[in-house]
Amino acid sequence: MESYSRATPLTAIALAFVAVIWVSPFAWLLTTAVDPKTRGILEIPHAIGIDNFVRALSGTAGIQFVNSVWLSVGTATLTVLVAAAAAYPLSRLNLPGKNLLLWSLVLLRLLPAAGIIVPLYFTALGLHVLNTVGVMLALTVLNLPFALLLLKNFFDTVPIELEEAAYVEGASLWQIVTQIVAPLSRSGIAVVWFFAFTNAWNEFLLPLIFARTANTFPMSVGLFAAFGDHGAVDYGFLAAYSLVYAAPAVAVYFLLRRNLNTGFAGVGVKG
Amino acid sequence: MAQMSPWLRSARLPMLGAMLPAIALIAALVYFTAWAVTYSFTNLELTGFNSINWKWIGFDNYIRLFTRNGFLGSLWVTVVFTFFSALVGQSVFGFALAASMRRIQGWGRTTVEVTIMLGWLLPDIVAAFLWQATTSTNGFLNTLIVEPLGFPAYNFLASNALAVVIIANIWKGTAWSYLLFSAALDSISREILEAARVDGATGLQRIWLVTLPIIRPHIATNMLFITIWTFTYFPLIYALTGGGPGSATEVLSIFMYHQSFGVGKLGYGAAISVAMVIIVGALSIFYLRQLKEPK
Repeated sequence: MESYSRATPLTAIALAFVAVIWVSPFAWLLTTAVDPKTRGILEIPHAIGIDNFVRALSGTAGIQFVNSVWLSVGTATLTVLVAAAAAYPLSRLNLPGKNLLLWSLVLLRLLPAAGIIVPLYFTALGLHVLNTVGVMLALTVLNLPFALLLLKNFFDTVPIELEEAAYVEGASLWQIVTQIVAPLSRSGIAVVWFFAFTNAWNEFLLPLIFARTANTFPMSVGLFAAFGDHGAVDYGFLAAYSLVYAAPAVAVYFLLRRNLNTGFAGVGVKG
Repeated sequence: MAQMSPWLRSARLPMLGAMLPAIALIAALVYFTAWAVTYSFTNLELTGFNSINWKWIGFDNYIRLFTRNGFLGSLWVTVVFTFFSALVGQSVFGFALAASMRRIQGWGRTTVEVTIMLGWLLPDIVAAFLWQATTSTNGFLNTLIVEPLGFPAYNFLASNALAVVIIANIWKGTAWSYLLFSAALDSISREILEAARVDGATGLQRIWLVTLPIIRPHIATNMLFITIWTFTYFPLIYALTGGGPGSATEVLSIFMYHQSFGVGKLGYGAAISVAMVIIVGALSIFYLRQLKEPK
């Protein structure tokens, strides 16, 4: 192991350098957000206060936060309900060509979503859902292939014997699904829910096209509109708004860290 | 595969019924895709006369891709962006980081990992705002480094927009490659590397002749995903530069957005998306073959 230890100091310096470059934008974001008198440059805060956060959660900004929560929770819940209702039969029933079907759907979904923006726009226009509900439906459609595949693979690992035993004991389909399958699949359902939640929370292009007024923007478009205003840039407000917007996406990852890492290992093994 | 047990036979019909909503939405997805392809053969526009009285114009939109200014220039910007930010930046740098982090444990490793993960987890628009604030004339790159060195404030986004966008995307996206390569490197047994070292292979030789061939499938997988994502990436670039200055950072997704919703030429925009899909599809097939090929 000598050759390893010899390389270490140089590597350590390089890594420290990388970490500094990576972390300095975050440092700027934090110091700017907590400093009510910020000048927008990287410096020790003049004072510490929550004024910027108060502004980032009140008025239009507050409404946009609520819009984002509604959009993301709605999309995630709708995706899980629709996908689970189809993934469970896909896992249990012997339907011909189901794996081929699932994989072709996932391939279809790998293609750029931008490609179907125009049809989505016209459909939403025709159905009078050029609003948050429209974005929710569109995102559910876009999430569905991955959600189906993940949930179907997950249901495959739940042993069918338990369901058969319950059936023999006289349980109804509804009882079996809600009292046996659902509790056993909690972690799989959680992963799909949070995956769809994060997707919707980060989504920018669809609401950019679907939402028309500042009061209907989710936070992605709200932040873009706020720093797109090339007036006097209100860095304190923008930094606080960014932190409020980023926090749920980051938190979700650390909540699900173990499950996601297993997922990454899976990618590696399948190669 | 489960044989039809009495339980499944009794549940078959309600189960098939439960699939209906998903089937409807999947049908919509396929329908939208077909619809987008159909558009590309028309002169449909967002507003005005051609929005109602559109007609079929055959391959005119596709011919326009090559005869009019715009598409080829945008394709070149996309290729440069993808090559430097995804392949050179995220992949090579992600691998280098994963390889050097193997020797480091404890808080040093955790710090670096959490830091690069934060970039990846951040919403695109927050990353765009951060990089705009970092590189603007009164941003901290200028106030902390350029001006103290005695140079006048430099407007990075006006003069080197593409480079800023590339660096921002490396900053944001390296975590994915890093995690994938970390998992791949963990799967290589120490004995093989030790044997190569005993046989007198230098560090570079060990990487080039032992490590890289072993993790070749992982490299191909990584390339496949990040190429698809980067080639069609929209939010960070759009929010940071809007495709400008001029068309310096107008990658294909932004070009398509401008043509469809700015200029209003929906038919032409659809043709651009179809072209993007074809290019991405060709690249994917290339990578998938690399994945299969035994070596």
